[in-house]
Amino acid sequence: MRLTRITKSFGATRAVDDVSLDIAPGEVLAVVGENGAGKTTLMRIAAGELAADSGEVSEHGTVGFVHQHFLLVPELTIAENLAVTHRGFRFASHRTLAREAAATIAATGIALGDVNRRVADLSVGEKSKLELIKAIARNPSTLILDEPTSVLTPHESEELFRVMRTLASRGTAIVFISHKLPEVLAVAQRVVVMRAGKVVLETRGATAQQLARAMVATDVGRASARPPRERRAEARPTFSTGDLILHEHEILAIVGVAGNGQSELARTLRDQLPHAAHIPEDRTRDGIIAGLSIAENLALRGVPPDAIHHYNVKARSAGQNAGDLSGGNQQKVILARELGREPKIIVAAEPTRGLDLDATAFVHDQLRTAAGGGAAILLITSDLDEAFALADAIQVIYRGKLSARMTPEEASTRVANLMAGVA
Amino acid sequence: MTPIVDRRRPAGAPLAEVRVKRAAYAVGAALAAILLLALSGAAFGHSPKELLALLIGGSVGSPFALQGTLLKSVPLLLTGLSVVLAFRAGVWNIGGEGQFIVGALAALVASRYGAVASLLAAMLAGAAWASLASLMRLWRNAPEVLTTILLNFTAIHLLGWCVNGPLREKAAMYPQTDLAAATLPRYGGLALAVLAAIGAWWLLYRTREGLRLRATGFNPDAATWAGVNVRAQLVRAMAVSGAVAGLAGGIELLAVTHRLFERFAAGYGYSGIAVALLAQLHPLATLASAFFFGALVSGAGELQRTANISAAVATFGQAAVILALIGFEHVRRRT
Repeated sequence: MRLTRITKSFGATRAVDDVSLDIAPGEVLAVVGENGAGKTTLMRIAAGELAADSGEVSEHGTVGFVHQHFLLVPELTIAENLAVTHRGFRFASHRTLAREAAATIAATGIALGDVNRRVADLSVGEKSKLELIKAIARNPSTLILDEPTSVLTPHESEELFRVMRTLASRGTAIVFISHKLPEVLAVAQRVVVMRAGKVVLETRGATAQQLARAMVATDVGRASARPPRERRAEARPTFSTGDLILHEHEILAIVGVAGNGQSELARTLRDQLPHAAHIPEDRTRDGIIAGLSIAENLALRGVPPDAIHHYNVKARSAGQNAGDLSGGNQQKVILARELGREPKIIVAAEPTRGLDLDATAFVHDQLRTAAGGGAAILLITSDLDEAFALADAIQVIYRGKLSARMTPEEASTRVANLMAGVA
Repeated sequence: MTPIVDRRRPAGAPLAEVRVKRAAYAVGAALAAILLLALSGAAFGHSPKELLALLIGGSVGSPFALQGTLLKSVPLLLTGLSVVLAFRAGVWNIGGEGQFIVGALAALVASRYGAVASLLAAMLAGAAWASLASLMRLWRNAPEVLTTILLNFTAIHLLGWCVNGPLREKAAMYPQTDLAAATLPRYGGLALAVLAAIGAWWLLYRTREGLRLRATGFNPDAATWAGVNVRAQLVRAMAVSGAVAGLAGGIELLAVTHRLFERFAAGYGYSGIAVALLAQLHPLATLASAFFFGALVSGAGELQRTANISAAVATFGQAAVILALIGFEHVRRRT
């Protein structure tokens, strides 16, 4: 595939600015950059989903695109979803569909379990696997993956990389859009860094530090490094249910492999604690209301529009449609809406999923500040680094059950086994 | 369910630009419909120019014609608003016709207590009739698209039974009721309908409840996470929508027909859907949209009187508007 001098604007924003790129068969190319750097737009143009304002796309064979958001029919089963894209209009029994789906899935080397489950009942991690299977099953000559690991556990990511390497060895060109630099370095042969619509670095042997510097232009290293927070002696429980006790001034992290009951936990807490702040894991489905303006999204929780400045939302004005914002900025709007009214209890599910370094650091700072101000925070995350960077206490969720409470020190040795269910 | 009107704006386009574009689509659709009407007249052996002159002359050409158009647009404005309020919450209230009828029935019965009581009764009856659909949704998850349509038929037959039975005129000559005991001044209804449009705008865009209602319509999942009681919103939106359609029936009775007969509703409930869609679900744009459809109905009346073309062309015009809108929308989404 060859992209020549591609340019694309949305309104006054130049999303992609004169970018040229070649991708060879059998190559794994990583495209990295902050939210809104133009990575997704460029790849949607490459896949023929968007028309470029100028420039040329020439490609041989087909392009498969695994989107960051899901393009699945929730009412149908896994097998039916696969049949919709692959089978066309021929009649078939459910048993045939299930058999074909199982074969398709087996051929990709990805494990997905029972194919007769409805997609609506799958976890986010499982849905993303299904999307990947859908794309791979068509044998595309180029496969584009948009932030595929943002919803995966480390183990699932490893599985994905194995699949990517196998595909590449068979001659598929793979484009991997990501924020996570260690992954990028582990899997990609070549890395392209985008910033503000331009390619600012193209390299085969850069370190994570170099890439990060190219991505953000300013200095890095803020992402995690946890400043010690004073634990107050009088910290008292503000909420407890079953094996879960939340304390003031405390961040409790629930970690686990996706699909072990995290979504159910978050939903239960939402219904039990209607006045707490809730940051849902599925930002586009449950978080932002795309048809309303930013100000209106904030007003749903009584937060004034000028909160967008405090939360660094990059928007022309608070009157802008929230649906026009990039993923990271949408997450900031949700954060502003939920944290802006200084809640006593915060339930944050995957609050930094798919966010870039800057935005992640920002979200972490906000959560720390809230805890410092006395809030009780429950952080549900599949990102262990995030858990260890933020949490005062950690519990592991496995098959819907919570482990005992651990200090981060205890957790560091036990968490892996607990997540795998072998402890 | 797929929205009939796509409220998403093209990425990055400023709000004002989008509003202008939307208005341009709506005006374009209206013009296209009128042109289609005039051209199709050629099939009846009339010149399009002549038909266009009749349509315009018969709707806005004289003070008398304009008066007719204004009166015709009152029920359309209210049933249109009823649809706007429901659709904005994501509730598919197709039951304007039935709510219009039960509103008028209640207004007739309550008219002995005066016009105000009569109209209040109309609103209550409309709200109650619409709420039957909400209840079926809550109890048995029955889709309101179906239940509201079925309730239309129920209301039509209820009206038929009333005018042939318990409410039949004392003289027992025709299947119709006696005159209502109260009346509204001719333009009282118009004033009320315009107030209702402003009220609906204020409710949707200037109140917290209106924001919650729109949030529910755009994305019920996200609204739930943001602390909105989505079920309560749906029930409320349906009730308010029904109340406005019921009010339309009450006003039509007290200000225009003064009595009830079998064909009383004349499709106003269904026409409200066309009115709301042409207004792109905006309450204030509904003012213009209702006026346009009112003009279409009076213009079609003139065609029937002068050129002997069936007044059913007004229905044809409505369909043409909706088709043109869908066509524009299709083109817009592809670019």
